[in-house]
Amino acid sequence: MEGVSYQRFPKVKIRELKGDYVKFELRDTDASIANALRRVMIAEVPTIAIDLVEIEVNSSVLNDEFIAHRLGLIPLTSERAMSMRFSRDCDACDGDGQCEYCSVEFHLRAKCISDQTLDVTSKDLYSSDHTVVPVDFSDPAGYDSSEQKGIIIVKLRRGQELRLRAIARKGIGKDHAKWSPAATVTFMYEPDIHINEDLMETLTLEEKQSWVESSPTKVFDIDPVTQQVVVVDPEAYTYDDEVIKKAEAMGKPGLVDIHAKEDSFIFTVESTGAIKASQLVLNAIEVLKQKLDAVRLSEDTVEADDQFGELGAHMRGG
Amino acid sequence: MNAPDRYERFVVPEGTKMVSCERDTKIINAASFTVEREDHTIGNIIRMQLHKDENVLSGGYKLPPLQYKIIIRIHTTSQSSPMQAYNQAINDLHKELDHLKNAFECGCNLELYGFIRASELYWYTRLVISTGPQTYVSHAGAGAVRGN
Repeated sequence: MEGVSYQRFPKVKIRELKGDYVKFELRDTDASIANALRRVMIAEVPTIAIDLVEIEVNSSVLNDEFIAHRLGLIPLTSERAMSMRFSRDCDACDGDGQCEYCSVEFHLRAKCISDQTLDVTSKDLYSSDHTVVPVDFSDPAGYDSSEQKGIIIVKLRRGQELRLRAIARKGIGKDHAKWSPAATVTFMYEPDIHINEDLMETLTLEEKQSWVESSPTKVFDIDPVTQQVVVVDPEAYTYDDEVIKKAEAMGKPGLVDIHAKEDSFIFTVESTGAIKASQLVLNAIEVLKQKLDAVRLSEDTVEADDQFGELGAHMRGG
Repeated sequence: MNAPDRYERFVVPEGTKMVSCERDTKIINAASFTVEREDHTIGNIIRMQLHKDENVLSGGYKLPPLQYKIIIRIHTTSQSSPMQAYNQAINDLHKELDHLKNAFECGCNLELYGFIRASELYWYTRLVISTGPQTYVSHAGAGAVRGN
């Protein structure tokens, strides 16, 4: 029976939106979609990170592979990543994965000539493509100039030198965590809290206060004017059942009814700076759609098997 | 020493089909779909979508241990076939993700440019996405799309 669709219609409401942080509510969808989005944001949204390092001179205290590992973990602005090709799929280069379409070249040259320790930071990495550069973490307010140096790669003493060439490629978090664009991605079920007002009336003020204080996070409070227990921040509830246990201990089971709404989620997405947080969510949805497209049954598979089904038998007059 | 390479988790090797189908020999209208190099991300959303289909009697997935593939098993009534149910589930999920993407984009733009009404915003967003940010300058362009 074609034509009947069991599609859901999710709703989104953005609570907070900053460059590297977005908090939004997702409603009318299943937990599997929320979890799939979370998994894709962490592991399958592509970014660009340094993948190959050729070291010419290294007389620092850290050995070559140590420095190469640190370089790989530096987040690079990866707006280009979604449209770039993977090196293994690139047919423009001659197989070494270093052409301009599938990779970005960096170089770093540092030598300490003064008596003061030289900090080699991510700001010393020079890129061949100005759209792919190490993420700038400096505070735009700029009130402390010593904190705006970038990520320290290695420190050099007088006479020590570091010269290297690095190739950055597109990759996904599943391959190596350096390619993951997400710092943390979490979602929680939205709680539905109902206070049984009749039972609450039977408590004295001290009992109400001790019950309100039994919750580790501040979910309830006592209204100073009406002396009633009110819900002040339902999302601070961490699904520990402390208030329920306290109500039972006080001899008043059913004082409050808390359950999680099955189709309402609150997402918190924090990105490393490689991609903006809102763009990260959009890229995740795009990647999930691409995965679904790749997993569709091809036309010939469908037709070959239809001949054996009951419907096929009926169509053939069997 | 025996550990496979990390890229084996998501790179389908040359010559292997991504999805293959095997009918169940003993039960009619039941089939197993083997999807290479996928995991719970896809498996769980397809499974939950299959459960919504009235014609699906049972639908489930498993990951064979230490192998990078999933096996989705679907058993339908005679009104439908497992292949139909599978494709229907994927199409519905695709449409749901499209809807989610539009909802999120509208939400983001509302957050950034809160003075635009939500209904106008939908068309403005479509125009901006299709033609790029330079159209911010010309409101006449947005008006033409709305069909004023």
